Amino acid sequence: MQDTITSLINPADEKGQYLEGGDLDSLKQYLQTGASRVKAAGQIGDSAASIISKTVEKSLLYGDITLPGGNMYPTRRYAACLQDLTYFLRYATYAMLADDASIIDERILNGLKDTYSSLGVPVEPTIQAIEAMKDVVSERVGNEAGQEVGKYLDHIVSGLR
Amino acid sequence: MSIVAKAIAQSDRADRFLGSSELTQLQDFFSNSSARISAAQKLAANQQKIVDEGSKQFWSQCPNTPSNSGDKQKTALCQRDQGWYIRLVTYCVLAGNSKPLEDIGLDGMRDMYVSLNVPLTNLKTAMRCLKQSAMGVLSSEEASLAGPYFDQLIRAF
Repeated sequence: MQDTITSLINPADEKGQYLEGGDLDSLKQYLQTGASRVKAAGQIGDSAASIISKTVEKSLLYGDITLPGGNMYPTRRYAACLQDLTYFLRYATYAMLADDASIIDERILNGLKDTYSSLGVPVEPTIQAIEAMKDVVSERVGNEAGQEVGKYLDHIVSGLR
Repeated sequence: MSIVAKAIAQSDRADRFLGSSELTQLQDFFSNSSARISAAQKLAANQQKIVDEGSKQFWSQCPNTPSNSGDKQKTALCQRDQGWYIRLVTYCVLAGNSKPLEDIGLDGMRDMYVSLNVPLTNLKTAMRCLKQSAMGVLSSEEASLAGPYFDQLIRAF
C-alpha cells in the first residue's frame, strides 16, 4: 500500500532529490493533521461495533431488505452485511490515517462489484448504509475528522457505482 | 514504507483496527513533526558543508583511502555517495522509520563497494565522520531524530 509520506518520498528519490517545495509543504500539512487522525482512528476502533449497529439502524434495519426475500435475510446474511460494513469502516479508517485511498482500492474495491453482483447484494442499499455511516462517524469523532473519514467512504461508494 | 503504512499493514494482517501500542507509536511520531521537518531541511541545506567537513575529518583519520588518493573522480564519487546517504537519512526522519535507508541504500550496498574495491572499514570511518559533521548543524531534538539512522548506516558498514 501507499501512504502520503511514501508517495511523496518515492518520486523524490527517483529524481535523487530532497523533499522540497510543494511536496514538502504537502508533507508538512499531513504531519500537522496527524495527531487528530490518530485520535479519530482510536475512537473509531474503540466503538466500531456500535458505529455499525447505529449505521444499520439508520439505513437498513426497518426496510424490506431484512425481511424474508431480502438480502439481509436470513441471519447468516445479516451477519455478512455487518461484517462487510465493518470492513468498509476499517479500511476507510486506515485510508484516513494514511490520507491515501490506495489501500481501499487494493483490499476492498478490487473485485467487489463482481462479488456483490454474483451474490445478489443490491448496490443502492449498500450505498445508503455507507452514507448513514458517514453521519454516525461524524457524530462520534466530530465533523472535521468525520469529513476525512467520509472522503474515503465516498471513495468506496464511487467504486460501487 | 513509512511508520504509518507499517502500522496499518500490521493491523490489516491481523484483521483489526489499530491497537493501542500502534496508536501510541503514531502519536509519538506526529508529536515531533516540526522537528522532523526542520531536521530534514537543515540536512538538505547543509549537505555540501556536512560532506566537506566529514571528508576532512575522515582523511585526517584515514589518509590512505581511494577518495584521498588524488584521483578526483574517486573523491567526487565518494562524496556524492555521502550526500546520497544524508538524503536517505532525511527520508527516514520524515517517514519515521529506517525503511528508506534499508531499501534504497543498504540492500546490496556491501556487494557494490566490494566490487568497486572500496574498503568497507574505511567507509565505516567516513560514515562516522559524516554523522559527527551532520549532528553539528542540528539542534539536540533534531539530532535525536536523525542520529539513530546515521548509527544504523555506520553499523551496516
